[in-house]
Amino acid sequence: MSASSSTQALEYLEGLHLQTHRKLYEQPSTVLAVFRCMLPHLAKSIVMAMLYMPSAFPTTDLDAWFKPSARKEKEQALFVLDRLHILTSKRSDDGRQLYSLSSGFQHSLRQAIEGSGTHRSFGVPATREESGGRKVTINFLDEYSRAQWEGILYYLVSGAAGLHADGIARSEVGNGTKGLLNAGDLVKIVHGSPRITKDGFSFVLQETNAQVWSLLIVYLKMVNNLGMSETEVLSFLFMLGSLELGQDYSISTLSPTQLQMLEDLSDMGLIYRSSKTAKTFYPTRLATTLTSDSGSAMSASSNDIAQASQGTAGPAATANKGFIIIETNYRLYAYTNSLIQIAILSLFTKLQHRFPNLVSGKLTKESVHRAVQSGITSAQIISYLTTYAHPQMQKNVPYIPPTVMDQIRLWEYEGERVEVTPGYLMREFGSETEYRDVLGYADALGVLVWQRDESRCFFVSQVEQISAYLKKKKEHREGGRVR
Amino acid sequence: MNSIDGSNRHVKTDEAPPPSLLAIVLDTNPHAWAHLSSTLPLSAALANILVFINAHLASGNANEVAVIASHSHKTTFLYPTPILPQPQLRHGTANGHVETGQARNDNEQQMVESANKYRPFAVVEQAILRNFSKLLDETTETHLQATPTTLIGGALSLALTYINKSTILHAPTAASAESISLAALADSENTHVDHVPLTSRILIVSVSGDLANQYIPVMNSIFAAQRKKIPIDILKLAGDTVLLQQASDATGGVYMKPERPEGLLQYLMMAFLPDSTARTSLVVPSAGGVDFRAACFCHRNVVDIGFVCSVCLSIFCTPNLPENMCLTCGSYLSLRSAVMNPPALIPRKKKKKKKAGTESATPGTNTPAGSSTPMHP
Repeated sequence: MSASSSTQALEYLEGLHLQTHRKLYEQPSTVLAVFRCMLPHLAKSIVMAMLYMPSAFPTTDLDAWFKPSARKEKEQALFVLDRLHILTSKRSDDGRQLYSLSSGFQHSLRQAIEGSGTHRSFGVPATREESGGRKVTINFLDEYSRAQWEGILYYLVSGAAGLHADGIARSEVGNGTKGLLNAGDLVKIVHGSPRITKDGFSFVLQETNAQVWSLLIVYLKMVNNLGMSETEVLSFLFMLGSLELGQDYSISTLSPTQLQMLEDLSDMGLIYRSSKTAKTFYPTRLATTLTSDSGSAMSASSNDIAQASQGTAGPAATANKGFIIIETNYRLYAYTNSLIQIAILSLFTKLQHRFPNLVSGKLTKESVHRAVQSGITSAQIISYLTTYAHPQMQKNVPYIPPTVMDQIRLWEYEGERVEVTPGYLMREFGSETEYRDVLGYADALGVLVWQRDESRCFFVSQVEQISAYLKKKKEHREGGRVR
Repeated sequence: MNSIDGSNRHVKTDEAPPPSLLAIVLDTNPHAWAHLSSTLPLSAALANILVFINAHLASGNANEVAVIASHSHKTTFLYPTPILPQPQLRHGTANGHVETGQARNDNEQQMVESANKYRPFAVVEQAILRNFSKLLDETTETHLQATPTTLIGGALSLALTYINKSTILHAPTAASAESISLAALADSENTHVDHVPLTSRILIVSVSGDLANQYIPVMNSIFAAQRKKIPIDILKLAGDTVLLQQASDATGGVYMKPERPEGLLQYLMMAFLPDSTARTSLVVPSAGGVDFRAACFCHRNVVDIGFVCSVCLSIFCTPNLPENMCLTCGSYLSLRSAVMNPPALIPRKKKKKKKAGTESATPGTNTPAGSSTPMHP
């Protein structure tokens, strides 16, 4: 589900304006983070090939570089690059179409990769005086972030699952975070107690990294109202993603907006500060894995083996490893003693037994129906079960028995018969060839939802690229006529 | 409604490309770099390669890199820094821990001032530069005089063993000894490995020519890579070898011999950066005409037509072997008849006749064709 966590952030980024993008791309750390975790794989190849190219890249050469069979992938990669304003196309003097990287992006990415410049955007480690000689361990940071984050999750699910904070020490969720959850429509307050919403359910079922991103995106949408600059917030988040776990960083180079953010982020458990007036901050694992979508945020990053061994030893990693076993007879066994996991499972399972390290239950028609009625989709249930499938289950592909997957879907479809996709209807094409051409382009982009050849109309989920394509075609035609 | 069928059951995780391991074999042969120093000095090449490594690491979050120097007298890892076996470790494990801790501290101290650099990049770069200068310091005049070439065979096998180790380490948690042995049992033909945990490739930046004296080890490495489906990419900055062209051709890698070595970085970025996932949709450059000639096992000469041991397929440039024994497997070979009728001159006749010809070539059997073996009509 690594894809889902970064796609969320990508969708948000794509929605930003050209001006915002320009400003964002001034920071090498931001550019590197966008490159690392937002771009599709082929887009990375294109960007890197063009990074040190002395002149612009003719469109025809780009087409020649790709195999004809990979048209779809190529269009998708170009589409994303265009939406993020990384790639610009222009026409040269002799009438050829040329691609070039936007200069700010190119400059910053070069700096990031060469490590040149004096931008200091990858975090300034604290000096000895600032850190005060006392350092906290990585285990402590993991424990801290987990406690904070589980506090938030627990706050969300406690109402719906009928559980109460009975005697378990939970870190209190800060008021700022509560406001955030409200604003994001994840909970609504009914009679003074929180009630989880449909969006809240999908939030809870996501993987930790995706959860962090969705909460941060809510935060980003709010910052404009709070009088903070969106770009500064984003650059700070991307910078956090490039920091080193267990290292303390100085706050002396941060802007006022970013200082304000420190407080909100430490509420969520993304960073740790020993006190509100401390001159340093530690990023936690939640923050350092923001821009690396490999695996879940709680488990250690794989490129540092020493770190990985520490991570598996810590309690945080074991809490998020796969633990669910489902049999083809719909029985479910979950090796967990985490109340949150049990609460989440109880949203769509009929739980029957609980042992010190295991709960067992059954997926039934009633339990799935109940979940669907409160807004959980079958896709969410399946993706949750897949994400947390036990290593034993992961030996089979797909992880979950197909019968169970299909049955969960069928149970859902009993109630829901209509699916809504917002988008645009394209019709009134002049000729069959034109229709076919644009249809093929839309299909290659991956935005085609529905088509009807008899009446020459089709439905797309996004229209910007297609209108640009049509415009280009028109220009081309007219240009040909003049000549 | 009708989307509930088997086709829609795919697992989403497939979208993310698998992590990719790039093993770079850097030919650091001092003789060859001395020739190149006017167009592309070694320091500039190394700087370019470091940028390329960073680009590779940035292209995927779990991407890894290994750099191996193939020097004139030894091959050594530049990254990751090899952990030397410590004999004293037996009677004091705490000792070893302390030492590794110190090494880490050294790293941290050097790293402190680099707020302009993404940390993982800085770690890799510094390790490579440190190990590289160590390697150059160790090189003495006697080493240089001993040989004008480089140990590419050893470097290749180091790269292969490292890739193999990493692949096992990367296997999913469930992959116990049982599944590994299963994978070993399965032939390379029917690879029904359900999910590829790590894709690897080798890039050889080669500057020395004339590697024929290492024909056997290099060829063996090529076959191992072919079997493990590891592409070997070749960037040939200078010199020319038959061998490396064959390596890239046999393993499906990229072969490039740039006319202008100064533009090293652009070549690297454009042709060698895309990993195997991206290469499925890109047109990759390859050697146009591959020279498939082999080097003989006796004098390491590249030969057009040679003599092949009928038992182990070793190649010899001359029929005059000591005691008529194959140098590789020790079989007795009678080359008399072969000398009389050079192998290339045997005309492609009917099957029956051909069989007779080969039979007569083996010593001791002078029976006429057709009398011993019953022929089917």
